[in-house]
Amino acid sequence: MTRRLRARPPAIHWPSVRGRARADAGPLLLVAAVVAVVTLLAGATPPLIRATADDAVRDAVRSAGPDAEVVATARFDYDDGVDGRVRNPGLREDVEDFRNRVDDALDPRLRAVLRRPVSVVSGPTFDVTDGSLLRTFQFTYLADERGAHSATQVTWIAGHEPRAAVPPEDAAISVPYQAPPWPVQVGLSEADAAALRVRPGDRIKLKDKNYRAKNVQVSGIFRANDSTDPTWRLAPGLLRPRSGADGVGNTRLGGLLSPESLPDARLAVESDELDRYVHFEANPDAISAGTARDVAAILVTLRATSTGSGSATAGDFSPRWQSQLDGVLGAVQIRINAATAQASVLLVGVLAGAVLVLLLAAALLARRRAQALTAARQRGAGLTDLGAELLLESTAVALTAAAAGLALARVAGPGISWRWAVPVVLAAAVAGPAFGVLRAARATRDRRVPANRSARLHLRRTGQIRRAAVEFAALLTAAGAMVALHQRGILPTPAASAGALAPWSDADDTAALASSAPALGVLVGALVLLRLLPPALRLALRRALRSRRPMAVFGTAQAAATSARALPLLVMVSATALATFALALGVTAERGLADAAWRTVGADVRLDAGQSEEVDVPALARRIAAAPGVRQAVAAQILDTARLTDGSGIIRPRLVVVDAAAYRELLASLPLPDAPALAGLAPTAPGAVPALVWSENGALRPGMRLELPRKDAPAVALTAVGTAPPVGDTRDVVIVDAAALTAAGVPVVPDTIWVTGPGAARATTGIAGVETVVRTEVLRERRTAPLTAGLLRLAWLSAATLAALGLLGLALGAAASAPQRWQTLGRLRTLGLRLRDGRWVAAGELLPAVLVAAAGGPLLGLLLALLTFDSLALRTLVGGDSDPAVAVPWWGAGLLAAGLVAAVAVVVWAESVLRRRRGLSELLRVGG
Amino acid sequence: MSGDRAAGPLLSVRDVHRRFGSGPTAVQALRDVSFDVGTGSMVAVVGRSGSGKTTLLNVVGGLDSPDTGTVVVDGTEVTALDDDGLAGLRRRTVAYVFQTFGLIPVLSAAENVGVPLRLARVPVREREQRVARLLDLVGLAEHARQRPDELSGGQQQRVAIARALAASPKLLIADEPTGQLDAETGLAVMALLRGVVEAENVAVLVSTHDPVMMALADRVLRMHDGQIHEQEAP
Repeated sequence: MTRRLRARPPAIHWPSVRGRARADAGPLLLVAAVVAVVTLLAGATPPLIRATADDAVRDAVRSAGPDAEVVATARFDYDDGVDGRVRNPGLREDVEDFRNRVDDALDPRLRAVLRRPVSVVSGPTFDVTDGSLLRTFQFTYLADERGAHSATQVTWIAGHEPRAAVPPEDAAISVPYQAPPWPVQVGLSEADAAALRVRPGDRIKLKDKNYRAKNVQVSGIFRANDSTDPTWRLAPGLLRPRSGADGVGNTRLGGLLSPESLPDARLAVESDELDRYVHFEANPDAISAGTARDVAAILVTLRATSTGSGSATAGDFSPRWQSQLDGVLGAVQIRINAATAQASVLLVGVLAGAVLVLLLAAALLARRRAQALTAARQRGAGLTDLGAELLLESTAVALTAAAAGLALARVAGPGISWRWAVPVVLAAAVAGPAFGVLRAARATRDRRVPANRSARLHLRRTGQIRRAAVEFAALLTAAGAMVALHQRGILPTPAASAGALAPWSDADDTAALASSAPALGVLVGALVLLRLLPPALRLALRRALRSRRPMAVFGTAQAAATSARALPLLVMVSATALATFALALGVTAERGLADAAWRTVGADVRLDAGQSEEVDVPALARRIAAAPGVRQAVAAQILDTARLTDGSGIIRPRLVVVDAAAYRELLASLPLPDAPALAGLAPTAPGAVPALVWSENGALRPGMRLELPRKDAPAVALTAVGTAPPVGDTRDVVIVDAAALTAAGVPVVPDTIWVTGPGAARATTGIAGVETVVRTEVLRERRTAPLTAGLLRLAWLSAATLAALGLLGLALGAAASAPQRWQTLGRLRTLGLRLRDGRWVAAGELLPAVLVAAAGGPLLGLLLALLTFDSLALRTLVGGDSDPAVAVPWWGAGLLAAGLVAAVAVVVWAESVLRRRRGLSELLRVGG
Repeated sequence: MSGDRAAGPLLSVRDVHRRFGSGPTAVQALRDVSFDVGTGSMVAVVGRSGSGKTTLLNVVGGLDSPDTGTVVVDGTEVTALDDDGLAGLRRRTVAYVFQTFGLIPVLSAAENVGVPLRLARVPVREREQRVARLLDLVGLAEHARQRPDELSGGQQQRVAIARALAASPKLLIADEPTGQLDAETGLAVMALLRGVVEAENVAVLVSTHDPVMMALADRVLRMHDGQIHEQEAP
C-alpha cells in the first residue's frame, strides 16, 4: 500500500504573527513608509507626465503660429472666352464654394481640431514704381464665415469699399487678350496709404515682373476693427508696410480687395497668377496628446493623397493640401517621448534605491527575528509555515502602504499608475519572508561550518565564485544597457515611436534597458567600490597598527571586520550616486534653459519692431541707451527671409546686419559666446562685404564667397572672413556690418534692439509698436513649460527621495550592525576603553563605508551623467538645438556627502545614548 | 593549594545587594554577599544558572553597580567610581575573560593580545615583548600571526586569557571561560588559569559549573538564590 503524500496548507500561528508584528512595529512601519513614499512618486509621475503631455501639445500648437495651419490651395479655373478673358462676377461664390468643399473634405477628426476656415485670394507682388525705395505691393482678398473682411472687419475712414470696375450689366464682359491693364480697386490701411502717399481715387504706380504697368486704384482708406484678429496675420502687409518681406531693403505693402473688385483683380493679372487658399488655424485647446497622433497621421495621408498640383498650366484645379502641423506634432511628440524616457530614467533610479533599501530593511528584520525564528523552528514550525506567516505580514504591510501611496498620488495628481510601483511592492512583500526563511533554515539545518580548514576554504571559494558570477552578470547587463543607450539614445526608435505618442505606451525592449542604464551603471560602480573597500581597509589597518593611536586601530579594525556587509554600502553608494545623477540632470537642465534663454533673446531685453516701419528703431535705441541702468542698446536688422547664394545653391540663413563693434562689445558683456572675429568686419575690398558665418551643420564656413541677390540691382558679394556667434535659435547665421552693407548700396532698416543692463527691463516697458522680449520672462516661460517643469520637479524630488534613501540606508546598516558593534565596544571597555573613546571607535567603524559613499557616490553619479547625458536628449527639455553641457551640482553633491558624514555623528550619538541606558553587563550578555 | 597569599585582601566585597526589576516580578540577584579574595589566589564561584554568579562577577568588576554594599579592589572602592574611573580600573587592575572570547576578528592573535597595551599606550617595543611573553605563557607563540578564525576554540580562549593578562592586572575575572569548550580543552584552559595565578601572581575569580575545575581553585564560593551559602576549600 502506498501512501500518497499530500501537500498540507501552511499552518499559520497567529499569536506568533501578532507578536512579531508588535515587537518589530518600528521596522515594519519604516518599510511601509518607504513603500508609501516611493509608490506615491512612482504612481503619480506617469499620469502627471501624461497630463503635461496634453499641455505640451497645446503649447506647441499655440506657439507654432502659421506652422500649425492647414492650407488648401487651388488655382482658379481658366477664364478664357472666345476672343479673350471673361470677367467672372461669381468669383466670390467660387471662393466660398472652394472653402466649403475643402471644409467638407476634411476628416472629422482633423476638422475637430481646426478653427473655422478663412479664404484668401492673393495676387503676385508688383513693384512700386513711385520713388526710389524698393517697395512691393500685393492685393489680397480675405473672407471667413462672417463675410469678406472689406465689409465686416474694417471701417472705411476715407473713400469707400472697392467696387467693380464695370457696371452690373457688363459684369461678365469679355476682355481681349491685348487689352490695356484692367482696372482694379483696392482699399489701403492708413499706414500703407501714408507710405504710398496716396488718397482715395489715386492710382498706385505698379509694374509686374514683366515690367508691365498695372491699373490699381485706391478706393478708400480703412482701419481694422481689430488689428489683433488672427486672420490679418495671413496678409500682414494689409495693415502696415512690412520691411524685408521680399528681400533685403525691400518693403511690402498691401491692398484689400472686396467681393466686387475680386473679379477685376482676376483680370488684372495673368490667368494663372491669382492664388486662392483656404486657411484652417489649429485650435490648441482641441488637441491632446491622445488625439495628436491621429491628427498627424490624417495630415500625412491628406497630403500624400491630394492629387492636385495646383498648377493651372497643367490643367489641375483640384486642391493641394499644405501643413506643417504634423511636423509640429511630431516635434512635440519627440519632446513628450524624451520627457517620458527621461522621467523613466529618474524613476528607475528611485526604484532601484528603494528596492535596495527594502532589501536592507528586510535583512535587518530577519536579523532581529533570528532568535524568534530559530525558536519557532525548534518548536516544530516548518519553513513553509514560517514563510507563509512572514509573507502574510509583509504582504499586508506592502499592500497597505502601496494603497496609501497610490491614494495620496490620486489626491496629488490627475490619476495613478500602479505599474511603476510593482517592483517596490514586490520587494517589500518578498524580501522579508525570503531573508527570514533563509535565516531560520540556516539556524536549524544540520550542516555546520566544517572544522577542517581546507573544507572551510572550499566553502568560501564556492561562495566567492557564485558572487563573482552574479556580479559579472550585473556588469554585462549594465554594459549592454549602456551600449543600448548610446546606440539608440533615449528616444524610442522610429518603429516604436510610430505608435508611441501617448506617454507610457509600450516602447521596444531596448528602451527599457536603455532607461535602466544609469541605474545599472551605478549599481556596478557600487559593486566595484564594495569590492575595493575590504582590501583598502586591510591596508589602512596595517598602517593603523603601526600608529600610536589606539582609536584608529580599533575603529579601522571594526570597519575591516564589517566591510564585507554588502547591502548598506550598496544602498548608500547607489542612492547618493543616483541622487547626484538626478541633481546633475536638474542643474544641467536649469543651466541649459538659462543658456538657451540668453541665446534666444541675445541680451537682457530684445525689442522686435517686426517689419513695421512705424518705429524709428535707431532713435529708439539711442533713447533707451540713455536710460538709467542700461549698459548698452544695440540696433540691428535681422532677416530670416534673406536668400544668399554660394554658387551652388540658395542658402536661407538668418542675416544679421549690425554695428559690428557695438555688437562685439555687447557679446563681451554677456554670458554668450564671444566673437572676436567681429573686429574683422570692416570692408576688405570694394564690393566685397566681409561677413561672419555660423552653421550648425557646417553648410556655412569661413572662406566661402556668398552673394546677396537684390531686385533690380547687382547682387552684393559677401566674403566669409570668420565664424559668427550663434544668434537666436537658428541653424545658420550670417553677420555683416551695417556700415559695410550700407556702403555696398543696400539700405539697412534696423528692426531689432538688444538692450543690456539692470535697468533694461524698466527702460523698455510700455514702448508702443514693438514686441518686447525679456530674457527672464523667456526663461520663466520655458522653465514653467509643462514638460520642462514636470521633469525638473521630478528631478528634484528624485534627488531628495534618493538622498533620504541613502540616509535611511546608513541608519539601517548601522542598526543592523549595532548589537555586534556595541558588544565589541563593551569588550573593549572591559579592557579599559573609555565610553567617550568608544564613540570614536564606533564612528571609525561606520565612517569608511560612509566616506566611500560620500565621495564615491557623487563621483559615480557625475561619471554616469557624463557618460549618459549625451544620449538623454536633454535639448528637448531646455529648448535648444544642442544638448546642454553637463553641469556639476557641486552644492548638491557636497550637501549629500556632508549629510552622510553628519548622519554618522547622529547615529553614533543616538546609539551611544540608547546603549548607555543598558548597563555594560547587559551589553556583554548579548550573544554571550 | 594554599590560601590567600597576600597580607590583605585584594578584593573585598561587603554586604552587596542587587535587585533587578521592581514589584512582584523583581528578582533579588544578590543578597548580602560578602567575601574577600587575596592576591595570588584562584577562587571559583559555582552555582546553578540564575543563582547570581554572573551578577556577582559583574558587580565585582564594575560592570554593574550594587544597590547597596561596597566592592573594594586593590584599595579602590569600585562602587564609587565614575565611567573614567572604572575605565582606569579595568585598564590597570581588573581584567576579564568571557565565555565567547571576544577577540577582534581582523586582528592576529598577537595584535589581540596587544589591545590593552595599546589602550595603556605602552611603548611599541615593550608591548611586543610583553605580547610575546604572554603568548609563550599560553602556549601560542607559534600562532602569533594567526587570526581568531584560524584558531580552535581553546586556542582563542587562551588568546583571550593572554589579552586579559597583558596589562598585568591584579584581579582576573573569568565568567564561564570554558563554557564553549569541550571538557579536555576546558581543563587545559583552567590549568592555564591556575598557571597564570602562579606566573603572574594575580587573583582569579572564576565562575564555573565544572567540578574538575573547582578542584583547581583555592576556594569555592557556592551561590544559591543570590547568596553565598558556603565557602569551602576544595
